[in-house]
Amino acid sequence: MPTTNDQRSAVFKLMIYVIGFLLFCEWLLPLGSITETKNVTIFFIYATFCFFISFIQVPWYLSMPLKLLGLAFILDGLYIAETIFSRNWFSVLYDQIIFNIQVIQSQEWWQMTPLFRSLLFLILLWLMSYLLFYWIVVANRMFVFVLLTLIYVTVVDTFTVYDGKWAIIRTFVLAMAALGVTSFHKEMDKESISLGGFKKGHLWVLPLLAIILFSTVAAYASPKLSPQWPDPVPFIQSAAEGAGPGGGGVVQKVGYGENDSRLGGSFIQDDTRVFTAMADGERYWRIESKDTYTGKGWEDTLEDPVQTVSPDNIPFRTFTDEVEVEEQQSLIELTSEADFRKLVYPYGTTSLDSYPEDYRLQIHENTGEMDTLKGDSPAKLNRYVINYDFPSFEYDQLRESSTEDPEEIKENYLQLPDSLPGRVRNLASQIIEDEDNRYDKAKAVESYFSSNGFEYSTTDVPVPDENEDYVNQFLFESQIGYCDNFSTSMVVMLRSEGIPARWVKGFTGGERIDTTDVTYNDELQNKYEITSGNAHSWVEVYFPDVGWVPFEPTKGFTNNADFYTDIDTEDSDSAASGSDTETPEDNMGNPQQMEEQEAASDSESINIDSEQSYVWVYVLAAFLLLALLVLYVTRYKWISAFLIRRYRKNEDEETFEKAYQYLLKVLDHKGFKRKPEQTLRDYAFVVDRHFQSNDMRRLTNNYERVLYRNESRRSHWPKVTELWENLIKKALS
Amino acid sequence: MNQQTFLYQPKISDVMKNINKVMIGKEEAALLSIVALLAKGHVLLEDVPGVGKTMLVKTLAKSLDCEFKRIQFTPDLLPSDVTGVSIYNPKEMEFEFKPGPILGNIVLADEINRTSPKTQSALLEGMEETSITVDGNPVSLKDPFFVMATQNPIEYEGTYPLPEAQLDRFLLKMKMGYPTASQEMEMLSRTSGGHPINEISSVITRDELVALQKEVEEVYVDTTVNRYIIDIVTGTRKHEGVYLGVSPRGSISLMKAAKAYAFVHDRDYVVPDDVQYLAPYVLSHRMILTSEANFEGATPESIIEELLSATSIPVKRNISE
Repeated sequence: MPTTNDQRSAVFKLMIYVIGFLLFCEWLLPLGSITETKNVTIFFIYATFCFFISFIQVPWYLSMPLKLLGLAFILDGLYIAETIFSRNWFSVLYDQIIFNIQVIQSQEWWQMTPLFRSLLFLILLWLMSYLLFYWIVVANRMFVFVLLTLIYVTVVDTFTVYDGKWAIIRTFVLAMAALGVTSFHKEMDKESISLGGFKKGHLWVLPLLAIILFSTVAAYASPKLSPQWPDPVPFIQSAAEGAGPGGGGVVQKVGYGENDSRLGGSFIQDDTRVFTAMADGERYWRIESKDTYTGKGWEDTLEDPVQTVSPDNIPFRTFTDEVEVEEQQSLIELTSEADFRKLVYPYGTTSLDSYPEDYRLQIHENTGEMDTLKGDSPAKLNRYVINYDFPSFEYDQLRESSTEDPEEIKENYLQLPDSLPGRVRNLASQIIEDEDNRYDKAKAVESYFSSNGFEYSTTDVPVPDENEDYVNQFLFESQIGYCDNFSTSMVVMLRSEGIPARWVKGFTGGERIDTTDVTYNDELQNKYEITSGNAHSWVEVYFPDVGWVPFEPTKGFTNNADFYTDIDTEDSDSAASGSDTETPEDNMGNPQQMEEQEAASDSESINIDSEQSYVWVYVLAAFLLLALLVLYVTRYKWISAFLIRRYRKNEDEETFEKAYQYLLKVLDHKGFKRKPEQTLRDYAFVVDRHFQSNDMRRLTNNYERVLYRNESRRSHWPKVTELWENLIKKALS
Repeated sequence: MNQQTFLYQPKISDVMKNINKVMIGKEEAALLSIVALLAKGHVLLEDVPGVGKTMLVKTLAKSLDCEFKRIQFTPDLLPSDVTGVSIYNPKEMEFEFKPGPILGNIVLADEINRTSPKTQSALLEGMEETSITVDGNPVSLKDPFFVMATQNPIEYEGTYPLPEAQLDRFLLKMKMGYPTASQEMEMLSRTSGGHPINEISSVITRDELVALQKEVEEVYVDTTVNRYIIDIVTGTRKHEGVYLGVSPRGSISLMKAAKAYAFVHDRDYVVPDDVQYLAPYVLSHRMILTSEANFEGATPESIIEELLSATSIPVKRNISE
């Protein structure tokens, strides 16, 4: 009676599938507690929806739009304020996807937006529903999934805060039930037993229930070993605690960042292009300066005053009118990877050209930080031309400059923390004791680092302890570091000697990649490429008649500012006038502060975030692994489906040969092992006896004619294809 | 090995029907004999007397409308007893050739190893050359010409074992063996009436047989199958238990026999099954084992069996060749 058999098998399938779904829910459950996922319920609903659609097996042209619709509604409800399916709605979605793809390309995973993450996750659920359907219902294989679920629950329980106590019991019960039902189903199939509907259902339901109950109770009541190793969760959390910005030996990524409150630690190199610049020579690309040294890093206390101006006239100067200048222009183009909404500019910037309309600049007068605004909100300015007066500092002017600093300057730029160890001050006065003017003093400090055992390195750079001063550690203990160490130390030493100085951030000149004839200026200009690795920090020293003059203490770097001397005699300026010399170590890169995910100063919240996003990565990886495994287990199914479609189209003997070989492989996989010495006829006979047909013999006969007769079977192709398809389907069912 | 029943070529099927009427449980031996006949080869039967060799050959001869001759070899048999002699006819005043038994279509040479090598070679020459020399004059043999020689198992006394080079001239060597109990029961009940051999008639004419032999030569052997044959044959040469491996003539014989076997099964191309089935019959008398192997109880058949299960069947087209 085929109908009862079909019904029975449908009920079995439903049972197994529901159990499979419940097991899958055990995978989703922990997400709420171990990750920042907020709407687990919605994912549950979507998973249920997908599983249901997979089960009723509607054709793909129905199920696909249905699932897509579900996906769209969820995204709409959670993230998108626009009316669903309106133009704006799509444009929001489009922007999001483009942005996230860029983020993924630049490998900045933590920047992925929630919308995109949810989208990926929903697609994953979709995929899982499809794969699990095949795995559980069609292939009738439950054990691997059950095993993986158990492993997953135990791992999540052990290594995260998730409490899997009940989850493990649920999983266990479900697993027993699932295995019981599947093996029962398989057994019935194999022996072709009909139970005559479900009249005698209690015959197997009761023993199964009894076994499950018994083993659960027995397991619950029996004594258990206490944990064999200490709970790793507190350890993991405490280890993650230190992983804040600049925290315990964590390797960070080089690039321009804003938070400099804790300096130190190693960096990995990053050659992501940030912008290109057309310029006469290498320039310092300044972004901002900082004024307050805390003993650990730099803080900004002089954010105000702020004024918003049109880029046509920029009222910000770091030097006085006494300095010789040359009018120049430079074209800056930011790449899509650059994510700062600030102006990068050379010294002496006067105005912008060729910038998009609506843009304005919000200038922090003290620090020189210029936010690019579109309307009232910060926006990225992708392309602009800068007009600037490139300064050249005259040595004698610097040497003869007075030392009468304005009160305001003294107040802001001589600050030092009380905790600064005395030996730093002593060292500073030792270095400069022979010099009589401010310029030579500054030069003395600057060149102090080029000898005396200092080493440039981005790795193995220590982070100062809680009670240790950053400069003190670098000058006397580690003597190894990068631009932050050198520049901060120079500023601190100058300040301890009463010389106003500040710490400047930005980029170095970059690498020259091209020389072009530019249209807006009839000269030849060089094109420079500036990468994240070119992020840099240097020093500005105040000279009352001149203004702020850049210095370059970092070992291996040359000063990009221009210096000259009126009298044409050579000077001891090997370090000066480096504007046009290639910087040999340019490729070493200059690590700067890394961009922590939220740039928040609250290190606590950052820790949690980073920990959670790691968990996300693991969960995603686990899902992916599972998906791959399912794909692998069901590989013969989908490969066959694909091949059937392909072989239908081809009619040559080679295709036949491939198809036949593939059939042999499938049969082999299904347990019909052909020994190498077994002839095809003999094998076909064995296969046919099992399937109680003669398809394999007929197909083999055709194949033999191709193989041993060298004959074309094109005329028989439809028949051959049909036989082959039948056999593949029979073998896989 | 291959136990499937195949469809026979229609004419061969008729012959087999005839044989089945007379013989019980001798289908395999009959089939192999037909294969040898179609491949223009000869058969060496190694068996004890009384298992139906003569009856088989007689039935075959009658079914094929062929002239049947029998030579009983004894130690005192002379070559001229095989080939025939020229006798002086006083009436005609000249020598007249009296043809010997070798000048039949189907010749049963019984107990060939009991006669002297000289007499043996008279038969063997005929088998190889399709003609014999009598009194210095060549006499051509009949076409078709098929010899089925029997020999007692070697251990018996008073035998002259055939030299290796002469064994090589037989396409197949086989054993008939005893019938099973049920077959023998049926045999007894059947022979109680008149002998069935008198009731059968020929189903193929001699000319048709020659035509069939021609068709057999046309059977296609692919290079993949040839490669398989070579693999098996070279296996015998490399096997450590074999003192003298199968000669190239052996490979040719295997291919010829396989062609005939394919033809018998109404196929115009050879498949590895044919080769696999025939290899023990075609190859086992063409090799000499080392004394160590003999001592360990190996037989040529067991070694071929071993080689067959170590040689993989070609299942992909040999495109490079």
